[in-house]
Amino acid sequence: MEHMVLINFIDIGLGGAIMLILIGFVGGLVSGFIGSGGAFVLTPAMMALGAPGMVAVASNSCHKFPKAIVGVLKRHKYGQVDVKLGLVMAFFAEAGVLFGKHMMTSIRNSFGAVGTDLYVSAIFILTMAVVGSFMFRDYRRLKNMSDEQQKEVGLTRLAKWVQSVRIPGTMFYSRGAQSELSFLFVIPLGFATGFLSSAIAVGGLIGVPAMIYILGVPAIMASATEMVIAVATGLGATFLYGLEGAVDIRMAMLILLGSLFGIQLGAIGTTYVKDYQIKFAMAVIMLTVLFSRFFYVPGYLSSVGMMAPLPAGTLQVLKWIGDGVLYLALFIGAYTVLSALIQGMKLHREKRSLGIQESAAD
Amino acid sequence: MASSQANLGKTLLWLWVSATLFGFLFLYFEEFSRLAHNTADACVVQNGLKSDYYAKATQELCAKQGGTLVAGTWWYVFAPIAMAFALSYSHGMFTGLFWDLLGLKAKK
Repeated sequence: MEHMVLINFIDIGLGGAIMLILIGFVGGLVSGFIGSGGAFVLTPAMMALGAPGMVAVASNSCHKFPKAIVGVLKRHKYGQVDVKLGLVMAFFAEAGVLFGKHMMTSIRNSFGAVGTDLYVSAIFILTMAVVGSFMFRDYRRLKNMSDEQQKEVGLTRLAKWVQSVRIPGTMFYSRGAQSELSFLFVIPLGFATGFLSSAIAVGGLIGVPAMIYILGVPAIMASATEMVIAVATGLGATFLYGLEGAVDIRMAMLILLGSLFGIQLGAIGTTYVKDYQIKFAMAVIMLTVLFSRFFYVPGYLSSVGMMAPLPAGTLQVLKWIGDGVLYLALFIGAYTVLSALIQGMKLHREKRSLGIQESAAD
Repeated sequence: MASSQANLGKTLLWLWVSATLFGFLFLYFEEFSRLAHNTADACVVQNGLKSDYYAKATQELCAKQGGTLVAGTWWYVFAPIAMAFALSYSHGMFTGLFWDLLGLKAKK
């Protein structure tokens, strides 16, 4: 039966606006701290405030891409961006964005706005579980190594193999990987990054690890190069979702207001901590956010008729627990970054004053 | 001293630009919302003081709901994109200068 689909933007009062700014601040802190992909806390947070999944993804993309432009220009100056690899990946990522957007609108047309909530949550839970577990494993590995050993961690076996493969007519030189690569390997990676970008607005969670572990690009160049892809996918997703009337610019800009304060503070924080501490923070936040999503799923399932309807009281309790766990994740994120920054700065100041005293004594 | 005063001046200038843009967005949000929803054909149903927008609308379905079908104009999509660019740039400049002014810098 033909039916219309209601896609409304959430009402934002003063309390809601403050909440969005705070959520944006924590999202920015985490984003700046881990280099990229920190916006993963923003999509579920917007959904917890009542935005349909599709509107949350569209608005998150809209707040993200102009930030990525500023970031990519800055990091290009430091020579950290592999422009060619970024553009090749961005090209295939756009195909992923188109596919992802098509999936989202098909789901909206069949199941309505709540269908997109369920779809976004499912992809979110799957991605966070995989990436969060990898991060945790990496943290445990790096923690037991000395600083020297950490620096010596070289290419993975997979990256060595990928760099050794020669397929005539498909090769291009990647400055980041310092090797020729076949773009046939880049196609699925770019596509997956673009798909995730249009499904949960966080393509970097796949793009960055893929460049590091599969293509052999150093971490700092991978996160900078991913920004080229984020510009393309963010702009693409904003445009495509905008054509569907799903970009809530007010919500996106309130998030941006907090996020730009947070991102610079988070980036300063990274200069005071060790790599494994960043990995640990990321794994903990990811797994907590993923856990929070589980509590919303029964409500979505019963709304789309995939499960027997649940009593309103039960749904409300589940939502409260989900919101509580999500806010706990945001608190953990803010606490981890800010405490690392404060402790790191204190230690740095103590070391400096000790150095000054020693040189005065000499 | 002179450079910190210049920085304060720049910080205040970017604060003013981004505050003006935020003010503009909030003041004209209903208009931004209308543009955002009307990039494709939409059925607008008055719901108290606010408007509800329905996608996948047809004349018949919209009439049944008591709304008005508005033809979509695809290039309205550039309104939020332009706003996002302008606000991101000005607010980004402001926040960067703000933390600098407070003395929070990366470890050298």
